[in-house]
Amino acid sequence: MKRRINHDGPLFSLFALIAGLAIIVPLLFILRHLFEPSTDAWRHIRQIWLLAYIRNTSVMIFWTAFGTALIGTYAAVLTTRYTFFGVRVLSWMLVLPLAVPAYIAGYVYADMLSYTGTVTRFLRLVSLPQLLQPMTMAGAVFIFVFTLYPYVYLFVRAALKRQSAAYAESALTLGVGPFRAFFLVVLPLLRPALIGGVFLVVLETLNDYGLVAYFNIRVFSFAIFNAWFSFGEVVTAIRLSAVLLIMVFVILVLERVLRGHRRYTVHVKGRVIAARPLRGLARVVHPFCLWLILGFGFLFPTMQLMHYAVLTWRNTLNMTLFYNFMNTLTIALGSTALIVVIALMLANFGRFRPKGWKRAWLKATTLGYAIPGAVIAIAVNLFFITVDRQLYPLYRWLNPASPVLVLSMSLGMLVFAYILRFMAIGYNSIEAGYDKLGETFTEAAYTLNHRKLSTLLKIDVPLLKSSLFAAAVIVFIDVVKELPLTLILRPANYDTLASRIYEYASDEMIQDTGVASLILIMMSALLIYALSGPKKRGRSAHVRPY
Amino acid sequence: MYVHIENLSFSYPKTPVLHQLTFTMQKGEILAIIGSSGSGKSTLLRTLSGLEMPACGRIHIAGETVCDTSRCTPADKREVGFVFQDYALFPHRTVAQNIAFGLHKTPRKARQARVDALLEMIAMTGFARRYPHQLSGGQQQRVALARALAPMPKMLLLDEPFSNIDTDLKHTIRLELASLLKKANMTSILVTHDEEDARMLADRVIVLEGGRIVHEERVVRTPRH
Repeated sequence: MKRRINHDGPLFSLFALIAGLAIIVPLLFILRHLFEPSTDAWRHIRQIWLLAYIRNTSVMIFWTAFGTALIGTYAAVLTTRYTFFGVRVLSWMLVLPLAVPAYIAGYVYADMLSYTGTVTRFLRLVSLPQLLQPMTMAGAVFIFVFTLYPYVYLFVRAALKRQSAAYAESALTLGVGPFRAFFLVVLPLLRPALIGGVFLVVLETLNDYGLVAYFNIRVFSFAIFNAWFSFGEVVTAIRLSAVLLIMVFVILVLERVLRGHRRYTVHVKGRVIAARPLRGLARVVHPFCLWLILGFGFLFPTMQLMHYAVLTWRNTLNMTLFYNFMNTLTIALGSTALIVVIALMLANFGRFRPKGWKRAWLKATTLGYAIPGAVIAIAVNLFFITVDRQLYPLYRWLNPASPVLVLSMSLGMLVFAYILRFMAIGYNSIEAGYDKLGETFTEAAYTLNHRKLSTLLKIDVPLLKSSLFAAAVIVFIDVVKELPLTLILRPANYDTLASRIYEYASDEMIQDTGVASLILIMMSALLIYALSGPKKRGRSAHVRPY
Repeated sequence: MYVHIENLSFSYPKTPVLHQLTFTMQKGEILAIIGSSGSGKSTLLRTLSGLEMPACGRIHIAGETVCDTSRCTPADKREVGFVFQDYALFPHRTVAQNIAFGLHKTPRKARQARVDALLEMIAMTGFARRYPHQLSGGQQQRVALARALAPMPKMLLLDEPFSNIDTDLKHTIRLELASLLKKANMTSILVTHDEEDARMLADRVIVLEGGRIVHEERVVRTPRH
């Protein structure tokens, strides 16, 4: 039997064990409460609403997946296989819609298309009717598609850039025309990338709460929040979460099945296909379509927000906003730092092709990303309340006047939930970096009498700099945009930009969201630029390297 | 002459690659082109197959001008088979589907018969449903060859066909390939940097250097007993 040398020091093994437990145990709390006796509210929901929730959620994720697959692939093919005026700028700008949270786009579009909105007023001016109804399922899908397509775009683009020209060329030499060659060879080889991107889109769609709540679309995250907040129904919220988790599980299995057993990554050396210039009418039509996509996902909402900001900055640009901004910045930086450090330790633990339990354990630590925020929020909340109850004697010993709930009233709970949810992003990015790096440098350091921690700090970290940077940027953006976790788990009187924007929108003060939304979007947009802007092309491949 | 290449030149922007190449081939002849990397061997194959457009020159294949100053037949209409250096077998298609790929205009029954015949020719009848990654290097090479031969091209181009094959297997596979090409009476150009490959397989060898033919010789083989 072949044996591998165990490179994992006890420190790293212990760390991985604790990190894994911290992530898995809260999720088990959902299971524990699942078997409590059912309530009238649950029976009512099961009989009247459950099917509607399942149907609405399925319709929403199906059309969003379809739309993002279409638009993401279209944009990726055009920007990698063709040259035209502005392609360099467009190819990174098309990622920018990732900076726009769906809920902000939702508020803006709903307002733009309302009776007094920009679009409707313009249409009235030119005597045209406004027939679009934004606050519907179709409207929500539209917004999801145009804010989430960059996931598919990035995945497919990276795959197209790697795909050897030899495949398409051999199809040509076998008498198959370029158009057929694209559909028979190029596109099927993109399938894993396409599915990977669409999978993330589906998870993001399931996670959303802000948009569906504002549009009043009865999907699972909306129902879980309602059960929890409006009715105080813990059991109902947990049962709904369990149904949602079953849906997530089906999607996970579907993803595996769709990828199939075929191998798509047979290594073929040689050039990638050189980009060709667009000719004729295509030179105008395709760039126009790409700018329109960018417009819907980023430019139009941002321009409208700028208009709001001009109208309302005197009232909204104040110290409260500054505190919200500082809260966002500190909690995002703190969580990002923690996630990157833990992810680095875990990735280091799992880098020598882990098998068996070790592999499963590491996979489990990255489960959080597949679990919608509403579910994580409930799991973490229940977990912290239980921990608080267990620790109450200790609290009382330290401070006789201590309340029962200490940890679950602190910011620690929110940071913990961010770590649980976004660990996968940090881990996968760093793991991809380790894969690229190989094992030789680290093994060379071991043979030169460096210990594991010293090798990690002196060799791995400097060499993984760009992966670590990518991981940090993506996690930071996600934390800044995150809404459901923040809403449920933030301590009293603690607001971030996201929760402030949500509150303005809930009070129908959409124009007041302008300044806060712009700050949030610009923070993320600048980081996206730093990650995949024109001069940092090498890093763009790290964006969500699942 | 079955193949006639006349004053063929090719250049990438600012880098000339092929200079006024002229040579001819007879039907069924196997020509080996050897040269160091950067000598223009692979570019020559790409130009002949229609994957690259020459700067000037003329290419006649099987009595037809496929490229001259006024027009160039595109790769998908040129009927020139190509075996790529890494074989470029489509990883999402089975062996049979790979071989049948170029037979899309052939009726279903005839297509199946052709695939069966080719599988038999390469002695891989039992491998029809396998995927490329389930094959060894030598098997992949045979499938790539069968795929290229399936649409009955007018000529076959092979780019470094032994670069992925272990040295111990190379000898057997070389002999196998020579016999398959001869059996199919296929006019072929083989590009290699290994002189032994060239001498073992080809009827004639051309040495290319800096995009020019610097040497040409006919291979004299001693009959095997």
